[in-house]
Amino acid sequence: MHDRLLSTIECARSLLSSPGCEYAEIRLAAGAGTTISLSGEQVEAFSAGDTISGSVRVLNNGAWGFVSFNDLADIERHFRRALEISSALNPREKTRVRRQAAVRRAFVTEARVPFDAVSLDEKFALISGYNRILKSSARIQTTRAMYRDVRTDYAYLNSEGSEITYDRAYCGVSLSSIAKDGAVIQPFSDSVSGYGGFEIVKGREEAARDVAKTAVDLLSAESVPGGTYRVVADQKLAGVLIHEAFGHLSEADFIHENERLKEIMVLGARFGPDDLSVVDSGGIAGLAGFIPFDDEGTLPAETHLIKNGLLSGRLHSRETAEKMGEETTGNGRAISVMQQPIVRMTNTYIENGAHDRDELVAAAGDGVLAKGFIGGQTNLEMFTFTSGYGHAIKNGRIGAMYRNIQLSGNVFTTLRNIAMIGNDRIMYGGLGGCGKGGQSPLPVSFGGPHLLIKDVLIGGEQ
Amino acid sequence: MIERITERLARRARWFDVIETRGSSTPVSFANNRLHSITDRHNSGFGVRVNVNGKTGFSYTNDESRLEETADRALALAAWGDEEDFDLPAAAPKPFEPYDTAIESFDPEREIAGIEESIAALRARFPAAMVDADVSASSGSARIINSRGLDASYRSSSYSVRLSATLILDDGTRIETGESASILAPGSHEIFREKIIRKLEAASTPASLGSGKVPVLLSPRAFARFAGIMAAGLNAKSVWKGISPFADRLGEGMFVESLTVRDDPTLADSPYSYPFDDEGIAGTGKLLVDRGTIATFINDLKYAGKLGAAPTGNGTRGYSSLPYPSFSNIIIDPGTETLESIIGSMKRGILVEQFIGLGQSNTITGDFSANLDLAYLIENGKIAGRVKDCMIADNLFKLLKSEIVMSAERERTGSVLAPSALFPALNFTG
Repeated sequence: MHDRLLSTIECARSLLSSPGCEYAEIRLAAGAGTTISLSGEQVEAFSAGDTISGSVRVLNNGAWGFVSFNDLADIERHFRRALEISSALNPREKTRVRRQAAVRRAFVTEARVPFDAVSLDEKFALISGYNRILKSSARIQTTRAMYRDVRTDYAYLNSEGSEITYDRAYCGVSLSSIAKDGAVIQPFSDSVSGYGGFEIVKGREEAARDVAKTAVDLLSAESVPGGTYRVVADQKLAGVLIHEAFGHLSEADFIHENERLKEIMVLGARFGPDDLSVVDSGGIAGLAGFIPFDDEGTLPAETHLIKNGLLSGRLHSRETAEKMGEETTGNGRAISVMQQPIVRMTNTYIENGAHDRDELVAAAGDGVLAKGFIGGQTNLEMFTFTSGYGHAIKNGRIGAMYRNIQLSGNVFTTLRNIAMIGNDRIMYGGLGGCGKGGQSPLPVSFGGPHLLIKDVLIGGEQ
Repeated sequence: MIERITERLARRARWFDVIETRGSSTPVSFANNRLHSITDRHNSGFGVRVNVNGKTGFSYTNDESRLEETADRALALAAWGDEEDFDLPAAAPKPFEPYDTAIESFDPEREIAGIEESIAALRARFPAAMVDADVSASSGSARIINSRGLDASYRSSSYSVRLSATLILDDGTRIETGESASILAPGSHEIFREKIIRKLEAASTPASLGSGKVPVLLSPRAFARFAGIMAAGLNAKSVWKGISPFADRLGEGMFVESLTVRDDPTLADSPYSYPFDDEGIAGTGKLLVDRGTIATFINDLKYAGKLGAAPTGNGTRGYSSLPYPSFSNIIIDPGTETLESIIGSMKRGILVEQFIGLGQSNTITGDFSANLDLAYLIENGKIAGRVKDCMIADNLFKLLKSEIVMSAERERTGSVLAPSALFPALNFTG
């Protein structure tokens, strides 16, 4: 544990022993990271730095007071300030939190090859090697190859007596090629990240080769005409779909004080076919959304959001669990110590069904095979998910390549329109992540098996 | 503070600059019609950029006690850096500060009362509405020191308000819309209530429109999002990398003549304004697109050098990153027709307020595709209800060649001041 944290932890412990409010927590972190970003022949950035940060959150007379800072020595003053600003508030409706037994644990990321033990030369050589592969065709105009690692000493303490420390190591690479042919400019990217060591980022040559090849192939691909299609989504895209289509709507802070939505999101309501089951689970080590405990000191649960097509659970913070009278799930997450925890996903996925991918493609008849993803967004009813590229499906066979496939759905119809579920689930999490409430990118992962979905709207030429 | 390391840097680096940023803010948040939290946020940090034997190194910290280690680390990292050479400025002008002393009188209790009035007004008209709001005052400073003797700093302030309301209908249809503003000092936001009520009212009637090429009117907020896609190609960094479609088109007419766009860091009452950029170069207004012609690529010192252009004063950085070229305030010239007369002239088309997923496609070449989060059908010059579960997709650069009609009225959304804009024909999939 970082020296500066140790002395602050002492002080935090004594402040929390008689907090002077209903509930209080202190989070402290000291981090150090390295970023190498290459572009074409350029070294865009090779930087290393360190940060310290802390925050105090108090629930005082039914309202939250939150103070964040980077001068840890002053923690007593910050604690008083949190009480002072919140005591000026007198909300008509009081916030309450779920009480929990004290957790006293020390977590350490398991790494086969700790990146602290890897020289800067070796990190540079690794990402330079990927960058060479990314620009391996004459039709590649430029590239971006980025390596990032962050080591964080994190301490969580609360007024219930919890004290949790986490020596966390996170790293990843993101790989992009931008191909160009006359006026056509076509980027393509892939990324991998996780908790562990240098082993996560090594041996990704094949991924770099795929990125370069796909970017070049996309130069001659056609755009999909706009319309409504039968779509076979690959595992990555199925993951984005479930993250946007249902994951966000399962976040109880959207529901817990909304009577109308509570009626719609009642447990047992049908949202999909019998063979659709959806899970969020923060406890899967190695994945980008892994958390041994959330930022409210709750241990992670495996939460079935949908089981056999029926709504069977949702994601909670201490506040939403208390309000709805349900169990906490360990989904109160903050992007950094300097932010308040809000309800977020971790590792979210669709469980395997019974079918091979080829069965799905054959059953599609005429449609679109959509692969990989660029992104997704939701307004909690309608959502988009953009695939990296795809192919036409004609008479059950895979045909010409498509680019620019942005798909749209609606929570209340798209999941019901899942016609077949594959048996080949994989999980995906890159250096990007999820955005909510101004906190972005939060590391998450998602995945699923191939899916065949009917009546998916794709924007395009009329 | 920075003085502790300047001698050490001067001894070992060909040139260096150090940026120190400080900021604090006090956001008050309302969720689901009620006061939820109050925050007091403080952060500061230092970024050290050095050039050793022509190569650039960089490191950062937010722990003042580690400045020396940070300087040493930057010097060491220069061994891997890019060959870079350009002249740092010896002085930075300060004709103004984007700071209003009235920010110091920010009163959370008064702000809470104001938001509660807004919630009451919205719920008086729509009792089922769920209202969220944030109101925040922040102030900060940036100081830059470099090896040519520059030591310049300025203060900044910002007051921002966001108010949004959500209605959920029995079938799960969700209507969510809001208003926001960011200015230098506390101000009135009463007008938000009426605007939100108008949008919710217009969205409460369902309407539909078949797929085809249709006239699309973008609100200033929606048009501002498109301005961002266009502006990306006017950045010297993408020009130098050869991935801007405008790379060799400086001085050429690429768009309709009625389109004039500027970047202006001196815009009054905007927290996106600055007297000098984060490398100490004066912030001055410049034409990006002059009556349809590509006029300027914005740059920082690195990319000004690479393109052989004069620095434009658009170097941006926080303490933890190297500078990169970025826009200040983007200002789009207005048209002459009123918004009312533009809507009145539309026989059948749509008015778009909000998107879902815009920008998550290959925007480098201007291609875009988006779901319409909030859009209305316009029929015979009148708003005739909301269209949903539909998309628009097209190429922005092609569209900007067409006969766009821009309104005389403009609004600032974030850093973009834009009129409404009517595009005559756009791919609509419903």
